[in-house]
Amino acid sequence: MHELLRSYGRTLTGVFITLTAFWMLIMILLPQAFMIEHSLWWIDRDDQLGMRIDRAYSDMGLLEFDLGQADTPEGKADIQERIDGLKADIAAMEAEETAPPKHYGFDNYTKMSALHFEIFLKSIGYSLAVTILALIVCYPIAFTIAKLSTPNKAALLMLGLIVPYAINELLRVYAWLMILDYQGVINSLLAWLGLVSFEDKSWVPFLEYSGSVFVALIYAYVLFMIFPIYNTVETLDRNQLEASEDLGAGVIRTHLRVVIPHAKPGIAVGCIMTFMLSVGSYSVPQIMTRGKSGDWFSQLIYRQFFESQNWNSGAAYSFSLVLVCLGFILIMMKVFKVGIRDIAK
Amino acid sequence: MRGKDVRLQDVVMRFGGFTAVERTTLTINAGEFFSILGPSGCGKTTILRMVSGFIRPSEGKVLIGDQDMGALGPARRPTALIFQNLALFPLMTNWENVAFGLEARGVDRKTRRDRAFDLLALVGLQGHEEKSPNELSGGQKQRVAIARALAVEPAVLLLDEPLSALDLKLRQYMRAELKDIQRKTGVTFIFITHDQGEALTMSDRIAVMKAGVVEQVGDVDTIYDNPRTPFVATFVGENNVIEGRVTATGDGFATVETPHGMLRGRDQDRLSVGERAMLFVRPERSARVNGVAPDNVFDARFERRDLEGSFVNLFFKAGADSFIVHEANRGGHGGLEGAVKVGFNAADAVVMRAGEIEAEADDA
Ligand SMILES: Nc1ncnc2c1ncn2[C@@H]1O[C@H](COP(=O)(O)OP(=O)(O)OP(=O)(O)O)[C@@H](O)[C@H]1O
Ligand SMILES: [Mg+2]
Repeated sequence: MHELLRSYGRTLTGVFITLTAFWMLIMILLPQAFMIEHSLWWIDRDDQLGMRIDRAYSDMGLLEFDLGQADTPEGKADIQERIDGLKADIAAMEAEETAPPKHYGFDNYTKMSALHFEIFLKSIGYSLAVTILALIVCYPIAFTIAKLSTPNKAALLMLGLIVPYAINELLRVYAWLMILDYQGVINSLLAWLGLVSFEDKSWVPFLEYSGSVFVALIYAYVLFMIFPIYNTVETLDRNQLEASEDLGAGVIRTHLRVVIPHAKPGIAVGCIMTFMLSVGSYSVPQIMTRGKSGDWFSQLIYRQFFESQNWNSGAAYSFSLVLVCLGFILIMMKVFKVGIRDIAK
Repeated sequence: MRGKDVRLQDVVMRFGGFTAVERTTLTINAGEFFSILGPSGCGKTTILRMVSGFIRPSEGKVLIGDQDMGALGPARRPTALIFQNLALFPLMTNWENVAFGLEARGVDRKTRRDRAFDLLALVGLQGHEEKSPNELSGGQKQRVAIARALAVEPAVLLLDEPLSALDLKLRQYMRAELKDIQRKTGVTFIFITHDQGEALTMSDRIAVMKAGVVEQVGDVDTIYDNPRTPFVATFVGENNVIEGRVTATGDGFATVETPHGMLRGRDQDRLSVGERAMLFVRPERSARVNGVAPDNVFDARFERRDLEGSFVNLFFKAGADSFIVHEANRGGHGGLEGAVKVGFNAADAVVMRAGEIEAEADDA
């Protein structure tokens, strides 16, 4: 703070802080607060209400007719009383129809249907699997680039990894679709080898396996795993590896005892990013499954908002996801014994 | 004694088109303290890495204890390397660092912990076992590195300028310490340094290297008193150099015609008359001439003196050559101004074929 003041002066510092505060408020705090607020109430809309109002109106017509027919003043007064009561009821019902009552509570969270809860758990499980698979795939790549190649080769490899990311994410996912489709690249290859045939539809239905979503997700988010790991491994002194080897340690022990402890913050960040991106990914499962191997939770949330128009349960669903992500971050920090400070690096 | 000998046979090391180590044959005896001395970039580390197995020589063989190391990796050789930057594992405690080699050999935790504690005690680090290496001073880190290397009971310990990062006092202390550990354990030490003083005080034998070539191998006295090349003569210790042409030889002595007259010294290269030669004489074997004249005497002009404490350096100029005389400090260095006579005995001077000398000797 003081340093900012010293290096940029009062006005610029003020601008920086205002902008940061604005960003925090408008882009992060307000939407989240809105979500939380929406997730905490629901509207109790009574489906029978319209009918009941109609019935009350016809009852009233009858009563008004009765009123004209009544001959004793006592009877008249009696009917008038019932008409008044009915009028009050109708007014109350109409008020409820225009402004249905809002109830506050945790119902949006607790009344998630069994099916939706299963999808919720499945999405978390799948995202964990994607994260672990991505880690298994990316760690060796990151290590190889950081330590085993010459600087020139490392730059080239990095470029090779980054170039596909110049293409839109959707296009990259569609590329996988083309590869894995019924009549896609792999099946065509298999057909060419005579292993499957398009005529009798004996192709391998890759897209119906959740594995295809895994593949596309891993591919979509590899960089988020590779970069943090690469950055930390890169800072490891090469002599540490040689010292370990010189003392008789094999490749696995060197990694377990020297490289991984050093790369922990990077691994934690990579896992957190990949998990959060996977669990919240909408386009990848949407494109890859085309609705054939069940929903992901993100698709569910989308439908709550934009198809069922049920913003309240949508908000509750998406806030649950936020909570899961926060929980995941905390667990990763605990498991890898890294602090916020390490992660921020 | 558990040290083993190390032999390099016709070893050559090339990196691409660049030859880092020219064809070298070298024997390092079992249990000796052997130093490789040379200026920066001359290939010292490269030799060490060939012995430890990180790189394979382009040609030739490395034998340790009569066994051809061939393609054996560092993990399988009976060597341990102490890195130029120590390369301790910062995320392990000191005892885990020391025990790491044993861990890699599958020794159980209790045994290796005890062994690590013993070794840390040996290097004087009791009470620091559970600390991280980052909590130690430079000299203490050094000792953890030594303990870590000794833990795997190597037959050959390779040390790559391990003292260069320490300050003078600590360096002197660690020299004695290292020497002591070497005597106690009987392990063969191959010690790399670019500091000739360090090499002279610690070693049994020294190899002096220059640009990938081992110029001379010998015990410390031989290297100091009978340097074989102009480079060794000037790189190890200080030497006065006087160039000239040989006019006579005989009885193991050569007479050289120099700008300062005829000077005589031991003929090391069996020179022939007419050859260009260099005469080297140590400053402490040179003197001002007052009474009894030594074999060689010539005129010089006094320039300045540096008081070193127990002795003084007197700087003279004879024509274009500088001439340094070390004198014991007995007081009374006055009255030097102007022309004086300086000289030395022929037996204290070495004459050899002219060659390249170390321009700025000894950067330590
Ligand atoms: N892996 C390598 N690839 C290419 N050249 C190398 C390699 N290792 C060393 N060299 C070159 O070989 C020469 C000798 O290097 P070396 O590290 O053995 O020097 P050194 O005597 O240990 O120097 P210093 O005292 O500075 O440590 C240097 O010119 C260096 O650039
Ligand atoms: Mg070196």
